[in-house]
Amino acid sequence: MTKNSNKYIKPELMACCGAREIKDNNVVIVGTGFPAMSANIAKHTHAPNCILMQESGVVDARPKRPALSVGDPCLNPGSAMVGNLLDIMGMFLQAGWVDIGFLSGSQVDKFGNINTTCIGNYENPKSRLPGSGGANPIGSLAKKTLIIALHDKKHLAEKVDFITTPGYIDGPGARERWGLPVDTGPECIITNKAVLKFDKETGEAFLESYHPGSSVDEILENTPWKLKVSSDVHETEPPTGEELRVLHEILDPHHMIAIYEKRGYI
Amino acid sequence: MSKVMSTKEAISKHVNSGDFLFIGGYICRPPFAAIHEIIRQHKDNLTITRSNAADDFDMLIGAGLVKRFIGTFLSLGIYGLGRCYRRSLEKGIPHKIEVEEYTNLSLPMMLMAGAMGMPFVPVKDMVGTDLLNVKSFMGENKYKMIDSPFDGKPTLLVPALKPDVAIIHVQQADEEGNAQMWGIGGDCRVGANAAGKVIVSCERIVGRDITGKDPSRTIVPSFKVVAVTEEPFGAHPGYTPGFYDVDFGFGYQYQQASNSIEGLDNFLKEWVFDLQDRKAYTQHYIKKFGYEMFRKLQAGFDYSYPVSYAY
Repeated sequence: MTKNSNKYIKPELMACCGAREIKDNNVVIVGTGFPAMSANIAKHTHAPNCILMQESGVVDARPKRPALSVGDPCLNPGSAMVGNLLDIMGMFLQAGWVDIGFLSGSQVDKFGNINTTCIGNYENPKSRLPGSGGANPIGSLAKKTLIIALHDKKHLAEKVDFITTPGYIDGPGARERWGLPVDTGPECIITNKAVLKFDKETGEAFLESYHPGSSVDEILENTPWKLKVSSDVHETEPPTGEELRVLHEILDPHHMIAIYEKRGYI
Repeated sequence: MSKVMSTKEAISKHVNSGDFLFIGGYICRPPFAAIHEIIRQHKDNLTITRSNAADDFDMLIGAGLVKRFIGTFLSLGIYGLGRCYRRSLEKGIPHKIEVEEYTNLSLPMMLMAGAMGMPFVPVKDMVGTDLLNVKSFMGENKYKMIDSPFDGKPTLLVPALKPDVAIIHVQQADEEGNAQMWGIGGDCRVGANAAGKVIVSCERIVGRDITGKDPSRTIVPSFKVVAVTEEPFGAHPGYTPGFYDVDFGFGYQYQQASNSIEGLDNFLKEWVFDLQDRKAYTQHYIKKFGYEMFRKLQAGFDYSYPVSYAY
């Protein structure tokens, strides 16, 4: 892999971490923002035959600008198929055709459960969030779920206030007991400091790699549970020259991804 | 038989306070002309539903017309959380609405069941989460967990939804109500067909012969439709594929306005109450933001091969 000396920002590194989880020919459900960037980086580098879809009904879109929502007008012209919610969420996702789903959460816990419903008590919320939308079915039914989160004690939690989307729920065997399809579940949590992977035996996230500029100690300090560390923990591979070229020249020439820096992804 | 009428007449005749409404749209094609008319006519105590609700639902909630929301999600997209939705649930302003929470798989499946005349439908999501632990006005009928009679596996069943009225905005319809749509569908087709009657708002009314030139685009046939209203620019600030783009600037203005109760009141006065219909709305838009801005939103053209059904 060519080492890159070019400058990059944290959201770009995170997008590249997501891209590396995607294999050629994968079917991927994407939302907007850097999950969509991730999938597109993969498509323009090592996974040219992966198929991206949006829950709103779109398959293999060829947008002329980054989509700002899953229903964005730029997703219509050029797509291979424009159908409806049930085509994507029912016929493809529920029927087991989707390899990878990307989700972000206001709160994510050590089992990869995600909260996008409320902060505080459900009946009298301190903050009411949008709700599940497509997140719950994606986290329930995609073979691998990649989770994006901010790495601090507010956005990571030992236990989320509300489980909107299932990770490994309360530990080993829980997904199976509830009848969720076998071999599904969270694959990793990509944060602005690290990549956490999941121990499939315990269902718990552990530290796989720390981003350049972070350290194991800093990550442990900013994780609200006793985070286990992989025996071969290492620094996250920075974006390659090719990944950055694709990002800067093709996918995001106006550097819209920088908006995530304002949201704390630094 | 022609069902063409004004939006004012359609809402007055076919929507009652207390009704259960499916309101179509998915950033594309929200039926805003009809939403504003519901607000003007103060049809209240409504139960409303759609997957991925947005500014139109937020506005109805802020206007105090919503009693219940069967939903999956409500946000203002790139402008963040729905301000009126939050005020309702966090502070009870103007009142606390009742919310039944589903997902973008289970809710369209429930509408599909309604459209198909099925009593309920199994879905594979929601299990193992707090979505099963919160029940509102549907109570024990929000869902049932059973052991599948086929293989004994735990299976979640959710009930069919049958709204009283569906309101959708599409590109074109004929006078009888055959409604034609293209582009991102969301849950529009199942939602419309689940309802007892459908109000079709459209960019243009075409002849029945034009419907027949490309009948695969029809998502609701005329016999389900009670009213057809022609409302060009009727989904603004949302978009209609082939007609006009999303108006992000206007979306931002709604977000800013709805940050406060007073701001929302002023917004509703300016854009809803002081305007009698969509035509007046469009004129006001052009007067305020200029014809250039209006023209900039209009879609270009990029035609496919014409389709032919000849044999």
